[in-house]
Parts: sequence; structure tokens; C-alpha cells
Amino acid sequence: MTNLSLLLEPSILSEVFLQGLVRGSMYALMGAGLSLIFGILGVANFAHGALFMMGAYVMVSVSVMLGLPFVVGIAAAAAVLFLAGMIIERGLIATLRKRAGRDWLLDSFVLTIGLSVLLENLALILFGSRRRGITQMIFGDVAIGDISISYERLMILGIATLVVFLLWAFIKFTNTGKAIRATAQHPEAAQTLGIDISRVYTYAFGLGAALAGLSGALLISIYPAYPSVGLQPIVKGLAVVILGGLGYVPGAIAAGLLLGVIEAYAIFFMSAGWQNVLTAVLVVLILILRPSGLFVAAKGERP
Amino acid sequence: MTVSLASTAGQTNRLTLLRVIKLAVLIGLLLFVPPLADSPFITTVFISALMFGIFGAIFDLMLGYAGLINFGYAGFIAVGAYGSALASFHYGISPWAGLFIGGAVAAALGFITGIITIRLKGLYLALMTFFVGEAVRFSISNTPEYTRGVLGLSVDPFPSILGVDFGRDNLLAYYYLLIVLGTIILMAMWLLVRSKFGLAFQAIREDQLAAESLGLNATRYKLLNFTVASFFTGIMGAYYAHYIGILSPTPEEFGLPRTVEILTITYVGGRGTLWGSLFAGLLLIGFQEYFRGLGAWRLVLFGALLIVVMLFARKGLSGLKKYVW
Amino acid sequence: MTLEVKGVVAGYTKEVPILHGVDLTAREGLVTLILGPNGAGKSTLLKTIYGYLPPSEGDILYYGKSMKGLRPKDMLREGIAYLLQDHSVFPNMTVHENLQLGAWIFRGDKPAVKRAFEVVYGRFPRLKEKRGLAAGALSGGEQRMLEIARLTMTGPKTLLLDEPSVGLMPKLVDSIYEEISKLKEEKFTILIVDQNAKKSIEIADYVYVLKLGENSHQGPQAEFKERLEDIIKEWL
Repeated sequence: MTNLSLLLEPSILSEVFLQGLVRGSMYALMGAGLSLIFGILGVANFAHGALFMMGAYVMVSVSVMLGLPFVVGIAAAAAVLFLAGMIIERGLIATLRKRAGRDWLLDSFVLTIGLSVLLENLALILFGSRRRGITQMIFGDVAIGDISISYERLMILGIATLVVFLLWAFIKFTNTGKAIRATAQHPEAAQTLGIDISRVYTYAFGLGAALAGLSGALLISIYPAYPSVGLQPIVKGLAVVILGGLGYVPGAIAAGLLLGVIEAYAIFFMSAGWQNVLTAVLVVLILILRPSGLFVAAKGERP
Repeated sequence: MTVSLASTAGQTNRLTLLRVIKLAVLIGLLLFVPPLADSPFITTVFISALMFGIFGAIFDLMLGYAGLINFGYAGFIAVGAYGSALASFHYGISPWAGLFIGGAVAAALGFITGIITIRLKGLYLALMTFFVGEAVRFSISNTPEYTRGVLGLSVDPFPSILGVDFGRDNLLAYYYLLIVLGTIILMAMWLLVRSKFGLAFQAIREDQLAAESLGLNATRYKLLNFTVASFFTGIMGAYYAHYIGILSPTPEEFGLPRTVEILTITYVGGRGTLWGSLFAGLLLIGFQEYFRGLGAWRLVLFGALLIVVMLFARKGLSGLKKYVW
Repeated sequence: MTLEVKGVVAGYTKEVPILHGVDLTAREGLVTLILGPNGAGKSTLLKTIYGYLPPSEGDILYYGKSMKGLRPKDMLREGIAYLLQDHSVFPNMTVHENLQLGAWIFRGDKPAVKRAFEVVYGRFPRLKEKRGLAAGALSGGEQRMLEIARLTMTGPKTLLLDEPSVGLMPKLVDSIYEEISKLKEEKFTILIVDQNAKKSIEIADYVYVLKLGENSHQGPQAEFKERLEDIIKEWL
């Protein structure tokens, strides 16, 4: 056990808290994308980790190999993954939808498992297993009172917040956003109003994929690009989606931040490694005690 | 097999004879290729292939007969493997007894997991078991003072029995032991799914509500299925531990990639057939081990196969049965 | 001859058709009522007309033009709106947003959307009062009202109504039929499927009875009103 007096040291505690928020902002982005896809298509997208990995490779290609600014790399990752996501939806998920039986949730989940294995190993063939990263996008630390945090982590937190805000505004105010919400809430009614729900599915999957790609690019200095880099993000993403209530995007965002902070404290007070056990146990407990998630989803898929 | 032979006997004798020949050839191949090839490489390929075929068949007992997906399956294997390995490492318990210890520990985990999760719908069960498996794996890696964690736990081989030497280099002994274990497990599962339990499993899988309205306690049958499957998994895990000689809680060995391999075998073999998974295991893992030089392309093929099965060939290999059997 | 169904065979799978060659005509500006016992294929017929189920035989004509190949999303543009049987508001969206989605096919045309809102809020002042509320928070009757209002946003000519009063409290049922008779006065062409034969026959002009996926009786409302009791007895 760490010295107990540290418990009472506010500056250290707040520094850990801030680190937790940075960690949590990635979980939130992954969780938001997963939750969006689940809420609208009913697909627990296991390939989300592979999409994260693709985002990281796009970032490395654009910003290291082509030498373009980091912002361009991040934007490119989001754009490329948006397209990739739409292609995956059209090619695979929509095909499955045409022939799936009653077990859609499980069948689509297994389909994305296959996709994830495929993408990961194609990356291995294309790029090899070498880790390619960027040590730091921006240098330097900033001090806020007693707390010090690197500019880079602050930027990650800032961009993640901005993205979440933009996502919220998009879903809330644009026509496409409204069609997405309508399709999630009552697909049949949406159809009778002239909404092309198969297009909504495609956009929603593309959007979710873009969020995964964005996370992969944004976190390049923490998670360098290598074929199986998406494993941890998908595990945490699934955890967050369960904690927040399957299909409930705000729940996933809140749960992501919460989990990030819990893990940061767990690493600080226990030792690195146990936070993963803690997360798994937490998820199992939530599934037993409160399967609709920590925050009551207005319309959550219930087990 | 006898059932299918008897039921077709009335139609054409030639067909029955043909089937007996096919079966004999198959068993002959399994029994005699490794000793005749006299190559450690060939024998290890056969061991891996058969072992994964059996894991696939056990996975299918849950997935294909009760609609239960254990997405933390590799963690259950780990429990059996470490159960037996630690019993022998810390307490000097014979690995032969360890087979049952591994089975019992995994069955206990299966029972407890089952009790709290089996009422959940398919996807939730998959997610839940996934995190159970991860909790197992991370607990192993976080307790190096007991399990040696990622440093790796070295495991004793099976001691000699009935005059048979189970030294590490006697691969054939391990191979035939696997055939014995596999035969027992497959026969037990086959009898189970042919029994009244099997009928109940089928009824539940087809329409749980209807089955329950007939007074069938679906939860109990599912729990039974899950526990029995975990028991067999644990035995196989223990065998794996003493065969492989060193255990480490890496994802490749006891995590998601391993579960995905076995899941792919079951889907490719065809759900709800047991034999389909066995064949798929033999073919896929045999192929994979033999062509290690192909590197990542093997796994690309795995992923692509899983996608193809989900989209276009939902019966998997078992859909080919009518052409080859 | 607004909407003509000609010898339609359709079902959820090819092997098991539910409709075995149904004929029906909905005339412009009139209310056409479809009655029949459970399993007669009434809702299936509406679903087939609206493009959810492609007919394997026969054809559906709208103002003489075949509707083959049109899908549900295309129907509103053709001027046909469909009221689903169960609750179909978007519960977590506001009343106003629900109506906005009703004008989805006009989304590029702001003045048209504005006009549609004026008309609908004029007709349903209660919805205007509650425009900021989540639709799921409305009462059952108000939700149905919102569903009907949402259908009329784009000014369709024809309305398909599937069991409009099912699941509502008796005193709300009357208000729904009042609303439908108002729509009738406004010269909408209405095709309505209903279990509540006694209420719906009051507003109907022409009645069809289906039985096991086939036409059984048909005729003008006046003829049916007297025989209604007998026909219902026949089903039981």
C-alpha cells in the first residue's frame, strides 16, 4: 500500500484526477462510437478496436511519412475511417441484415469479430509488427496551481471535449442527426415518414468508425500504431458501453470519464495491472446488479 | 454413429459399407499417421489440431445446443490449466489427479458464472463471460508470487503410468493420451445431446418461451450445459498445461485471440453438430500449424472464413455433410 | 379509382402467402373500411400496399400507375401516408421535432415546412402548446393525435390507418374518430383497417370484409350497417 498520507494530499489527488480524465476521454470517445452504433444498428461492433488501429496508422502515415501537421493527420484519420465505416456497413452489415435470423445481436457481433481478425492481420502483413509512433505532438508542461500536466494531454482532453460537443450538436440540431435519433427510437415509423433508414445505418456506422479513428490518431503518442493496438481500447470501450447502458451515448461518455478516473486512482493506490481486474469486476457487477447501466437509459436494450 | 448407420441400413447396403470405410480411413489416419510419419513436427501438428477440434466441440456444446456463447472461453481453459499446474507446482499433486482438479475448478467457475449470467440474453452473456475471462487472466498476471505471472509457470510432465513414459520428448504418448481423453469427452457429449437433456437443449434453443410453457426449466438445463462444458474445458486445459510445459497469461495463450480461434472453429464447423467443430479444428488448426510459414495470412483466412460463414454459409462445414457422408 | 389492389398475393415468406389474391378499390375522398376477423390479413394488406412486402402476384395501382418496386420510404412522396398500428411517436424527441420529421421529405424547402407547421398547429392547438415536451411524455390520446398530425405535414392525399383506436381508453376512442371524420371532411382518401367495427362503420363510405386472406363481402356502408351484427357473429 502506498503511504496513506498521500491520500490527504490534494494536489497529488487532483493530478491523478486530471490524468484519469485524459485516460477517460479516450474511453469516452471509443464508448460513444460503440454506443452510437449499438443504439442505431443493434451491432456490438467488436471491430471498433481494429478501426482505432486504422486511425493510428493513418495518423502515422500522414504526419510522419508525409510530414503534414498533426491536425491534418487527426482530421484525415476521422475522414478515412468515416469512409471505411460506411463501406463496412454497406458491404458486410447490410448484407447480414438481409439474411439474419432472430439472433441479430449475436450474429452481428460474431461478424465483427471476424472483421476484426481480418483487419488486424492485414495490418500485420502490410506494416509488420513494428510499433510506429510519435513520441510527442507538443512539448512542454503547464502548471495549474500545484498540478502540472503536459500540453499534449491537455490538448487530447480539449479535442476530445470538442468532438463530443460537436457530436452532440450534430445529433441534436441537424436533419441527419434527427433522422438518426428517429431511426434509433422507431425505425418503422421513420421509414413511413420517408427516411431512408438503410442510409441512416450507413451514416451512423461511418460516424462511429470516425470516432474510433479519431481516438486512434489522437492518442498516437500513448498508443503507437501496431496491428493489435486496438485490443485494449475495444475492451475498455465495451466496458464503458456496458457501464453507461448499451446504446445510450451520453451514458457511455459519462461512464468513460468515470472509468478513466477510477482506473487512474487504482493504478495510483494499488499497482499497475490491477486496474484491469477492477474494471472487469466492475463490469461483471454492473451486469448482475444493474444491466441497464449506471445511468438509466431512456430507451435501453435490456437483457 | 451407430444410429445413423442403422437408420440408413435399410436403404442401400453399399452406402453403409462406404461409410464404414470412410470412418475407418479417418480413424486410421488419426491413429497411424503420426507414428508412421515418425516426425515430432507432424505429431505436434496432430496434437494441436485434435486439441483445438475438441475445444471447438466443447464450445459447440454450449453455443450450438443451448445458444450460450462463452466469450471468455480461453480464461476457462486457463483456470483448468493453472488449476492442475499450481496443484502440482505448490502441493505436489500428481498431474493425473490434476486432470480432475482442472476440470473441477473450471466447472466451479462455470457454475458460478452460469448462476449469475445465464438468464441474460446471448450478447450480454458473451460480454459478461468476456470480462470474467479477462478477470481470470489479469488475476493470474497480477499474482506473480503464486502463479509466476507473465514470467511463466513451468509445469511438470505427466508421470509414467502403466509403463508408458510421458517424458516431454515422447510426443506419441501425449498424442494417444489426447485421443483417449478426446474420445471420452466427445462420447460423453454425444450421449448427452442424444439423451433427454439433448432434446431439452434443442427445445430451448429453438424457442425458449415455448419450452418453458411446457414446464421445462430452461435456466437449469442451460446451467447444466454450461457447467458440464466448463468441466470438460478444465480437463483439456489441464492436459494442455502438462503437455505444453510452460504457462503464461498472455492474450495469445489465454485471452481473446485464443477464444476467437476456437469460436471460429465452431462457426466454421457448423453450430449444433459437435462433429463439425472437430473436423473444422482438425482442418483449420492442422492447416495453420503446418503452414506456419504463411504467417499472418493464416489469420486473415480465419477472419475471412468467419465472415463468409456468417454471411453466406450459416451451416459451415456441416452444410457439406450431404456430399461427403 | 384512387388506389386499386388487383389480385394481390403476398406474405412474409414466399412459401406461405397470407393474402391469396385480394381485390380492393379505395375511391378518392372517401373512407374505405376493411373489416375481418383476426388473421384475415388486414394489416398485411396495408403493409403490402405500403411497400413493406412485395406482392408475388397481382398489382397495386395508384391513380392508374403501378406501385411495383416502391419501398416504404418512397410512399410519402407519392402522396400516401401510413399510420402504424402501435405507438409510433419518437418518444425521446420533442413534439416539434416529431413534426419536423413528418416534413422530412420537405427538408430542403424551409417555407414549405413553415407553412406545414402553421396548418398543423392551427388544426391541433394542443400540440402547439406542448411542442417543447418529449413526445413520450404525452398521454396515449395525445400521442395518437401527434401521429396523425405528423402524417399530414406534407399534405398527402391518401391515408392508410391501421387500427387507429387500438389500445386507447374508451373516452379517447371517440376523439380519434372525430379527428378521422374531420380528415374525411377535408377530402383525404382514407383506407382504414379496424377491429372496432361499430365505431369505424359510422365514418365509412364503403366496406370490405376479408377472411383468411381472401375477399369475403363488400358493399356500401348503408348495406353493411344493418348486417354488421350478423357478420361479426359469423367470425366467432
